[in-house]
Amino acid sequence: MKSPLRGGCFLKGMHGMIGNQILGNLLQGVILGTVYGMATMGLSLIFGVLKVVNVGHGAFIMVGAYCALLFFNSLGLNPIFALPVAFFLGGILGLFFYYSAMQRLLKAPELSTLLATFSIGVLLEEVVKLIFGSEFRGYNWMVDKVDLGLTIIPYSKIYAFLGSILIALALYIWFNKTRAGSAVRSVVEDEEGARVCGVNVRSTYAFSFALGIAITVLSGVLLTMFIPVGINPYMGGGYTLKAFVIAVLGGLASPYGAFFGGLVFGLIENGSYTIFALIPGVEPFALTRFFSFVILLLILLLRPEGILSKR
Amino acid sequence: MKRANLLMVGVLALFLILGSVSISYAISKIVIGHPACLSGKYAKAGEQAIGGIKACINWVNDVYGGVKLNGKKVPLEYKYYDCESKKEVVTSLTGRLITVDRVNVVFAPYSSGLTLRGAPIAESHKMLYMDHGGANDKIFAQGFRYVVQTIGPASRYHEGTLDMIHKIDPSAKRVALAYEDSEFAKRVMEGAEKHAKALGFKIVFKRTYPKGVTDLTPLLSALKATRPDFILGGGHFEDGQLFTRQMADLDINVKALSLIASATLPAFYEALTVLAEGVMGPSHWEYGVKYSKAEAQKLGLPWIGPSQDEFVSLFKKAVGKDMIPDYHAAEAGAQVLAYIMAVERANSVDLDKVRAELGKLKFMSFYGGWDIDDTGLQVGHSMVDVQWQGGKRIIVWPEEAQTGKLYYPMPTFKEKAQGKKAIP
Amino acid sequence: MKQKYYPYIPVLLAYIVLFLIGKGVSGMWQLMSMLFFYCALGQAFNIFLGMTGYVDFGYVAFLGVGTYGMAITISKLSHIQGYGVLIIIAGFFLSMFMATLLSLAVGAVALRLRGAYFAIATIGVNEGFRFLIEGAKIWNGSEGIIFMSDLNRVIGSKTASSLCTFWADVFVVIIALLAAFVTLIYMRSKIGYALMALREDEDAAKVMGINVTKYKIIAFITSACFAGLLGASAWALKTPYVFPPEVFEIHYTVEAIIIVLLGGAGTLLGPIVGGLVYGLSKYYLSVIIPGFQLLIFAPIVIIIIILFPEGIIGMIKKGTKGKWIKRYIIY
Repeated sequence: MKSPLRGGCFLKGMHGMIGNQILGNLLQGVILGTVYGMATMGLSLIFGVLKVVNVGHGAFIMVGAYCALLFFNSLGLNPIFALPVAFFLGGILGLFFYYSAMQRLLKAPELSTLLATFSIGVLLEEVVKLIFGSEFRGYNWMVDKVDLGLTIIPYSKIYAFLGSILIALALYIWFNKTRAGSAVRSVVEDEEGARVCGVNVRSTYAFSFALGIAITVLSGVLLTMFIPVGINPYMGGGYTLKAFVIAVLGGLASPYGAFFGGLVFGLIENGSYTIFALIPGVEPFALTRFFSFVILLLILLLRPEGILSKR
Repeated sequence: MKRANLLMVGVLALFLILGSVSISYAISKIVIGHPACLSGKYAKAGEQAIGGIKACINWVNDVYGGVKLNGKKVPLEYKYYDCESKKEVVTSLTGRLITVDRVNVVFAPYSSGLTLRGAPIAESHKMLYMDHGGANDKIFAQGFRYVVQTIGPASRYHEGTLDMIHKIDPSAKRVALAYEDSEFAKRVMEGAEKHAKALGFKIVFKRTYPKGVTDLTPLLSALKATRPDFILGGGHFEDGQLFTRQMADLDINVKALSLIASATLPAFYEALTVLAEGVMGPSHWEYGVKYSKAEAQKLGLPWIGPSQDEFVSLFKKAVGKDMIPDYHAAEAGAQVLAYIMAVERANSVDLDKVRAELGKLKFMSFYGGWDIDDTGLQVGHSMVDVQWQGGKRIIVWPEEAQTGKLYYPMPTFKEKAQGKKAIP
Repeated sequence: MKQKYYPYIPVLLAYIVLFLIGKGVSGMWQLMSMLFFYCALGQAFNIFLGMTGYVDFGYVAFLGVGTYGMAITISKLSHIQGYGVLIIIAGFFLSMFMATLLSLAVGAVALRLRGAYFAIATIGVNEGFRFLIEGAKIWNGSEGIIFMSDLNRVIGSKTASSLCTFWADVFVVIIALLAAFVTLIYMRSKIGYALMALREDEDAAKVMGINVTKYKIIAFITSACFAGLLGASAWALKTPYVFPPEVFEIHYTVEAIIIVLLGGAGTLLGPIVGGLVYGLSKYYLSVIIPGFQLLIFAPIVIIIIILFPEGIIGMIKKGTKGKWIKRYIIY
């Protein structure tokens, strides 16, 4: 991109172009952000209840992606049908890993839990690689696009966007209006108090872990509706890192904080790209990533409970 | 009596000396060592390379009869381990291959970085180190004496594409460059930029994206605004798929799109289906190239190795699956052929002699031409440009290697979604 | 030698034995060099993780910065004739300096945090720093630095060759020995007691008046320095190139964690045992079942975490409580 430091007319033209681009990018960012946020809710839920950071987070997203892939390629069904299956599968995986491993590590130091969740992630990657190979796969769900002038959005992305919002809403209602949900919330806020009130904390742990994983796997399907290519066993790593930033943005222990954190993150990522692109001699994408980690550190320093939670 | 005894001792000693000398020359097998990438980020390329090497080794042993050495035919053996695509494992495994397994030559692991990692070990042990997967030119500016390249250098990847468009559509002047920000892709970009400028193209967009990017929309939106005629780009495997997919999402239509590394692999079409129609990519080798014994004779080059179809069937047998080999397999296999040709010409497995022969060697195989310069850089092999037409890969450039005509300009994504195929 | 330094003897012995095997048995040197690296990594990491219990998930950044330090020194100073080995030494100093700077920056931010927050903050630094290098094209950005030819110019290609294949590993051993020594000194001094108290219960330690922050910082910087030196020798000197994505890869931190955990966090011999067990099993697994090592390894790691969280030396320590072995040898 040429430097905007040139004559007047040109500057106006550039402004228009840049303005359009920024808006377009921001819009895309919001949509992608909701999916990212959705993907991070599971991470925050697990941390909130069990105080464990699931470093293998990305691997579960990968599992969801493969669900969508297989559904489309072998059964010819569009990924929306894969959503409930992914959720169910995630729940089973969550219960499996909880009872086989996580349960014994509840009071263990970070060293153990971080490494354990990481290894679970690696195990998933290797198993998937064994079954499906390391090929980069994808599927092509042909849907129409919406042309907004600023930018073009295919319907699949809109479905992903709406899906994320609906699911987040459903979770919100569940957390606040149902007994089970309230029980989970109470454990997050004050475990001892919850126990005293008769909440079965042990089974809440199991349930929350399973739910967290289920949401994560589900979000993998939604993610492929946004990016249906490049699916391979090792795709999770980048998403784990993004999820950390988003989770911190929204408050590590707050699932709906994570959702809005994702939105903000999407805005920052795409918005900052256009700005960085104006600086000559740099790689704007890498700087965008750098910027997101700077924000991560600032928030951890200044407001670790996240900018979106009530103090 | 004493003198007779002395004579006998002398004759015995002579026999012993001659005998031990000839024993040390009686090599019973030649071993190729390879710290391969069976797992980790280069697993796919590693699997292909191993298949290609096995295919050619089997050809040498079963069809060719073995390597002609000192009047005997010696079989080839293959010893490989998994370096997990990690550099510290590369050094320990390379060391093991050289000192414990005592191989005669080491094939480098895939990728320029890992190739560089094993090079100092091979150099210090005076072991021949053959590079089939590291295209970074800088490897050969480091002063290594025993590193020899079979893969073509990165800087030349997109030269053919530019030549092709320059010839077919002189009015297409605006080119956008969008590559992955990694040492290999940057080399390609530099080479492309230089060649484009030399041919009179106008570079309207030049950007890179990081490895492992998950969303290219901001970059592509900016690219769209510059209205290029065609786009050159790419990096490794997953980014090519993402790039094309998101171009489709944003309805960015250009006359031609050429992506390195991923666009010519079967997985590309599987993932993108009709959206991949008309997309091109440079490749070291593609099934269908016209290299054959007759071609070689025309050019006055010696020919060795299996024919293309023989290679494919040997490959399938070697990997045990019905998988078409891609260029990773072909370049690794060609390396085997280069090595045995040099050994036969040197009539020895001695490092310096073989290396000298490799320097003089010029030949053709199913993979194409082979010729290295003084630093070990590959200069005899040309890339081909491949285009997806009707779900098949057709070689469209250079004209001598064509298996079909170029389809130009590329159909728009809308047309592709409606089923238009890029069949001329 | 003072009694309290006796536990250093087995450390010294272990490295000497490994060194001798490496030089003596043909073909073992490269394997030994990989083991040395893992042991040194574990030893350096243990200074912070073992003693405070904090998991610095972005540890590899210090290795990366150290690698760059050496790479920059060699490539920038290679045109100065006749200084040869001094340039290498200068490289080590620069690596240490850069690692210290980075650790101060990280420490200022992250050490106020605890537990999982600390871990995430350190990942943030690791990744952030890497993208800064790539984004702002510092030190050649993503293209990295290939300086083999510079190295040849500095010390001649024969020496360079033996540097890459032998002397770099010797440096690694020296670093490992130093790190172990420093660990022992810390353990047997005020620092060690303070950190032990911190590890058990940070708030109680603070209440007792222990200047928790000061000791955390000391341990952190020390650990980072050694990482920098390790990066300079095991990475820069062993392979004269540096690419940002490679030297900031998280899996090295994970390996460090596994090694320390396996051997026993906070023990002196732990990292050596952990490094050996980890390195050897990976090596032989990859030779026997190439391609499947991780599939086998991952569940084994999980099992170890669940059943043996104190690691091998930790278990031995528990089993020999009060006996003379514990005081003099196993520590």
